[in-house]
Amino acid sequence: VASCFTRARPTAAECLQNPWIQGDRPPSKHTDSSLTMATGADVRDILELAGGDDSGLISKKDIINSDKKKAKKVTETLTFKRPEGMHREVYALLYSDKNRDASPLLPSDTTQGYRTVKAKLGCKKVRPWKWMPFSNPARKDGAIFHHWRRAAEEGKDYPFARFNKTVQVPAYSEQEYQMYLHDDGWTKAETDHLFDLCKRFDLRFIVIHDRYDHQQYRKRSVEDLKERYYSICGKLAKVRAGTGTETKIYIFDAGHERRRKEQLERLFNRTPEQVAEEEYLIQELRKIETRKKEREKKAQDLQKLITAADTTTEMRRAERKATKKKLPQKRETEKPAVPETAGIRFPDFKSAGVSLRSQRMKLPSSVGQKKIKAIEQILTEQGVDLNPMPTEEIVQMFNELRSDLVLVYELKQAYSNCEYEQQMLQHRYDALLKAGGAVTPHSESSGAPDSQSWPGADDIKTEAKEQIIDVVGAPLTPNSRKRRESASSSSSIKKVKKP
Amino acid sequence: MSGGVYGGDEVGALVFDMGSYSVRAGYAGEDCPKADFPTVIGVTLDREDGSTLMETDGEKGKQSATTYYIDTNQLRVPRESMEVIEKLTELMFEHYNIPAFFLCKSAVLSAFANGRSTGLVLDSGSTHTTAIPVHDGYVLQQGIVKSPLAGDFMSMQCRELFQELGVEIVPPYVIASKDSVREGAPAIWKKKEKLPQVTRSWHNYMCNTVIQDFQASVLQVSDSPYDEQVAAQMPTVHYELPNGYNCDFGAERLKIPDGLLDPSNAKGLSGNTMLGVGHVVTTSVGMCDIDIRPGLYGSVVVTGGNTLIQGFTDRLNRELSQKTPPSMRLKLIANNTTVERRFSAWIGGSILASLGTFQQMWISKQEYEEGGKQCVDRKCP
Repeated sequence: VASCFTRARPTAAECLQNPWIQGDRPPSKHTDSSLTMATGADVRDILELAGGDDSGLISKKDIINSDKKKAKKVTETLTFKRPEGMHREVYALLYSDKNRDASPLLPSDTTQGYRTVKAKLGCKKVRPWKWMPFSNPARKDGAIFHHWRRAAEEGKDYPFARFNKTVQVPAYSEQEYQMYLHDDGWTKAETDHLFDLCKRFDLRFIVIHDRYDHQQYRKRSVEDLKERYYSICGKLAKVRAGTGTETKIYIFDAGHERRRKEQLERLFNRTPEQVAEEEYLIQELRKIETRKKEREKKAQDLQKLITAADTTTEMRRAERKATKKKLPQKRETEKPAVPETAGIRFPDFKSAGVSLRSQRMKLPSSVGQKKIKAIEQILTEQGVDLNPMPTEEIVQMFNELRSDLVLVYELKQAYSNCEYEQQMLQHRYDALLKAGGAVTPHSESSGAPDSQSWPGADDIKTEAKEQIIDVVGAPLTPNSRKRRESASSSSSIKKVKKP
Repeated sequence: MSGGVYGGDEVGALVFDMGSYSVRAGYAGEDCPKADFPTVIGVTLDREDGSTLMETDGEKGKQSATTYYIDTNQLRVPRESMEVIEKLTELMFEHYNIPAFFLCKSAVLSAFANGRSTGLVLDSGSTHTTAIPVHDGYVLQQGIVKSPLAGDFMSMQCRELFQELGVEIVPPYVIASKDSVREGAPAIWKKKEKLPQVTRSWHNYMCNTVIQDFQASVLQVSDSPYDEQVAAQMPTVHYELPNGYNCDFGAERLKIPDGLLDPSNAKGLSGNTMLGVGHVVTTSVGMCDIDIRPGLYGSVVVTGGNTLIQGFTDRLNRELSQKTPPSMRLKLIANNTTVERRFSAWIGGSILASLGTFQQMWISKQEYEEGGKQCVDRKCP
């Protein structure tokens, strides 16, 4: 793909003269990229033939000015040898034969770049090792151990001593304790014990709590220990810092920690039934919310429709009154924004030049098939011509008529939907009432409570409720059902396509 | 710095891991113990062998070498009581004159061997099964749960099984020759002549090895709690005793180890107070602070020779995932090789003793002389 875009394509004659085609071809050492148009220069490069650069590039002057003396041959300039391991095309990006001067400003070290460095073993002499004693500065007793080390590193510090980090646990004196740190819940001995453990275990409170002497002292929880420790730290910091300096004290909220842990415990100990119940409740909540949204949306749509109907009738009445009385039409005041969903909005034809008036009569494409059919039906019923003569007045009235027809159709639909919904809800309400009513007479009749029947009645009740609740999805109006079917049919098409 | 190991510094330490079944010993820095011998003391009395072991004196196995070429020593011993620990320390420093010494709990070392400093270590050995929570390299002693259902319990059950079948356990040393018999038939074998007289205990010990071999090769833990019908359909395994008695074992293979996990079905247990392995784990975690529970469940380390029974880890995984809340991330860490699981505590000790940062933690002879035996308690966590 890449190699030939910088050069001109050789003609067929030139190709035939190419020695590569004519002579026997030496085996190519490189795997060429698939399906490239290799120019002569490329081929020579592949085969690592010597050929100079001017013979590869056919410039215009060669062909046209062939009779003039050829320009002095470019002196053999330094060819940069491609480093080992670099691909041919990559190298061509850097150093192509023609534009040799486009080399990087800073010379880069190409010796190591594309080669994996191998370890050179056996080059130098072996460095001797010695069994040396060493002392670890982190130890307090200065014990001497022995280990193998390079002789050259004798005397150097033990490198692992620097990992000996400890947490700073504050220490208090007797007086400080008496003055500031006295607490009713804690004796001095217990506080000392706590601090001793803190130092030993680097403030790992869980381990401290585990190793705490519960027999000797009271049973303390992890929060108690933390609380005491941090309060002491805070007090000491304040006292020692003196006046005026702002010290940052870590406040430990023990109450919050306790509550948090209690909550975690409860969460941890939940039974699977509780988890399932919670899931179920969340799902139900979601369902309820979506239903609510749907209801609101429908109500809004209906509202829009009604206002549209009202305003158009208002407008018409106003217009007619105005034209009858021949008063100046107060179009500005009475022109509420007619929602686009009500009726048909005929696009205002602002054409430059000549146009046919019947264009204005054309129904816009946004009107659905059903509405068109409904319009046609009513028009034919009323005996109106479907395509009247497009005079100015007729066009305007015809459009208005059709818009009103669509509005009437939509209102009728909305009305039938509402009726249907109302009937459905009425049925459901009756059924619920019946189910609720079924239990009470049953319970009244069973004097000696039959243990079998009680759960049975409960089951029926809950089952009926569940059924009823489940049925209350989006109410399936005849239109929405069809819509749903059409929607599912598109997905069924997808399903068919799968295998 | 010596050693090509990251963070490593070899001091030349010895690591001993003393269990109730075997003792593992070797040099620190290696990946498996050089010596692994049974924890039994042999006492020769007029050319007679034998008595069985007491734990405290368990160092002298039959083949142990008591000369230490190199200076330092690290031991790992079941921490039964402080007296044992202190006596051991005393023994080490005064009797053997070692320069430095350190004791570490096996649970911590098993966790280290698996690359973790926090986790729940489930160790199922020969005498008991324990669940030990380890947090940040320290054992939480109040969360340790022990159960006596382990290898020895299963050996006992196997022995009972053989008694029921009417099969005599004959150790190999007695047998001179045997004939092949068909399956289920009583064995035909000839006793060796000129056998030296052996003590009862030694004979028992040899019989135990036979049973343990049977236990290791035949028993299997099923995926689900033991069910008669399912067990009957399991493929049988053929096993031949040293005396020639051979038989196919089917349902019994599953029945016996199931006692480990669900002791309510096992025979010979007094009441239902014993905990199955799954319960042991959950109880142990339940006794710990709730903040670290996810950490513990996220690294459950399974060690011990008894866990090498086929199917043990899968079953354990299943049990635990049933008992924990669904949001808990459960991860079982079980090395697959025999060596690593049996010796994981030893390997952990080897790792610890060769760390550069560990060298400050040894108890040196000087410290012992200054501090006395109690310094063990302070320095060894």
